[in-house]
Amino acid sequence: MSYFFQLVVSGIVVGSIYALSALGFVLIYKSSRVLNLAHGQIIASGAFITYALTVWVGIPIVISFLLSMGITFFLAMSVERVFLRRLIGEPIISVIMVTIGLMSIIDGLIYMTPFGAGNFSFPEFLPKTPVALWGVSISWTQLVGVIITFIMIGGFTWFFKASTVGISMRAVSDDQFASMSIGISVPKVFGLAWAAAGLSAAAAGGILGNITGLNFYVLHSFGIIVFPVVIVGGLDSIFGAVVAGIIMGLIQQFAAGYLDGNWGLYGTADVLPYIILLIILLFKPHGLFGIHEIERV
Amino acid sequence: MSENRWLATGNFFTSYKAEQRIFQTHIDRLVFIGLLVLMFVWPLIFAVSNKYMLVIDSILIAIVAVYGLNLLTGFAGLISIGHAAFVGVGAYTLATFARLLGSNHVLLTHYWPLMIVLAGIVGAIIGGIVGLPSLRLKHLYLVIATLSFQMIFQWVINFSKFYDQGQSIAIGRVFWFTGKVARKQHYFLWYYVILVVVIILGFAVRNLLRSKHGRCLVAVRDNDRAADAMGMHPGFTKVYAFALAGFFAGVAGALHAYLWRGVGFESFMLHHSISYLAMAIVGGLGTLVGSIVGPVAILMLELQVESLSEFVGHYFTSIGDVATALRPLSFGLVIVLFLMFEPRGIANWWRIVRSYFKLWPFRY
Repeated sequence: MSYFFQLVVSGIVVGSIYALSALGFVLIYKSSRVLNLAHGQIIASGAFITYALTVWVGIPIVISFLLSMGITFFLAMSVERVFLRRLIGEPIISVIMVTIGLMSIIDGLIYMTPFGAGNFSFPEFLPKTPVALWGVSISWTQLVGVIITFIMIGGFTWFFKASTVGISMRAVSDDQFASMSIGISVPKVFGLAWAAAGLSAAAAGGILGNITGLNFYVLHSFGIIVFPVVIVGGLDSIFGAVVAGIIMGLIQQFAAGYLDGNWGLYGTADVLPYIILLIILLFKPHGLFGIHEIERV
Repeated sequence: MSENRWLATGNFFTSYKAEQRIFQTHIDRLVFIGLLVLMFVWPLIFAVSNKYMLVIDSILIAIVAVYGLNLLTGFAGLISIGHAAFVGVGAYTLATFARLLGSNHVLLTHYWPLMIVLAGIVGAIIGGIVGLPSLRLKHLYLVIATLSFQMIFQWVINFSKFYDQGQSIAIGRVFWFTGKVARKQHYFLWYYVILVVVIILGFAVRNLLRSKHGRCLVAVRDNDRAADAMGMHPGFTKVYAFALAGFFAGVAGALHAYLWRGVGFESFMLHHSISYLAMAIVGGLGTLVGSIVGPVAILMLELQVESLSEFVGHYFTSIGDVATALRPLSFGLVIVLFLMFEPRGIANWWRIVRSYFKLWPFRY
């Protein structure tokens, strides 16, 4: 039974990081209806910037964490300004392909740095002895990571619900023309959405790097697994992203814990999210909490 | 090969038959036949090393695959980032036979034209099944559905004992009328086989687009409700587009397996899907010329980048991994720049050049 609870705890830890990464994705989709395939790469660059600042420059990790969030904030904003601003109103395939191209470009840039190959791990800054809760052990890094994740998600939810910028973002996602007519600058909102996504991506990358260590290949596949999460949660719902993230984390942990090695199955944790994704797409394409806008033919 | 969408002013057709003609003038036809003859004759005149023949063969195979993707994405408007997986389905159809019957079974070595068609049919069936979500999904959702097909395909190959965990599965040497094809003639023979396939399928695509079945793809892309009102079945058309793309990809996969004399997992990964899509876009979505020019451009670029990165690697050994970095970097830049500045692709340049010469010395 304690094995079960251990899986639940690590599932929640992984799932909350999924939720945080999916958050940035949802932010962009919610305001500008762009499916950002390069999100995994933004997460990776956030994680690598945090690492470079902490280990190479020697800044305390808390400050470098905040600094890298600031850097990706402007990075993502400039990506939007340079590449996506001029594609407003273009067919959807161009926009998707541009984000695929961006994915390739950022990949190339990361390969230029030493981070392209090899493993990197953050220096330990929290006590090493794990916390024991009801017979389940959880390391301090994981605990702090989950807490930061939930603080950030809470912050973004509040930001969308109550702040002026958040409300204007929701207005733009609802109707671009109407929001223009009441004086909202639509391009500015798009830029801010990308910036906020970059910020949350850096946070996700930093937490992930502290928990599992940094490896570009792993971060790469992490970026793709965000898709099942956002689809299951509904593409435009922050709450859905959180729930789906945790569901996916739990499913993956259970698959790795119980299915692998039995009945000749291996690596099920890598494929189950996509099978679930296909099933959800077939029967409930708008996800658990998304807005119903799918049509039938 | 005329683009009816971009007719110059003053071009009037007096009958539907005239409009649908493949070659508008006799000169068009002559030039085309001359080109074909050239394609067939040049390897006989120039001695080409196996290395370059392999490159040219790979380009031709990519053209076959991009025909299918261009039908799906360009003409039917359904985005797919799982095309490499469809190509993989074709290749692994042959691998299945090789695993079951042995890699030198008569079926594989003597009846290879049959096997190529069979791989295409299997590809079409799988394509149709994967296309089923397109009945309910559009745009973004479809992208993700095809992406998940790609991931599931990779997992199936990677973790199944039958396919040797994605290790290379050998396919035997084929037989021609003169007997077993030796290593020297291997690439030579396949150049001609693939060239014939490219020409046949090119005409097939062109003729498909002249017929009702091809035009209904375009109609569904442009407005599926209007197409529905005109008596087409949008759902059926979408699945049919996926099956068509699957057929072309399956044929390309079988050719790939025969050319490399083996099927390996790492030829059908996600980044291959992305590069097929890039070929279609750089060539020009929704044009036949585009699906021929695009693969040539992208694969030539890849070759150049490879030699460039080798060159750079000699001088900057200290900076990270420049050799692996340049490929995705140049690739991404090409995609992004084309989309931002020439979304109609190289086919558009071709059109501009053609109309310039046609109208010379007048400007319009």
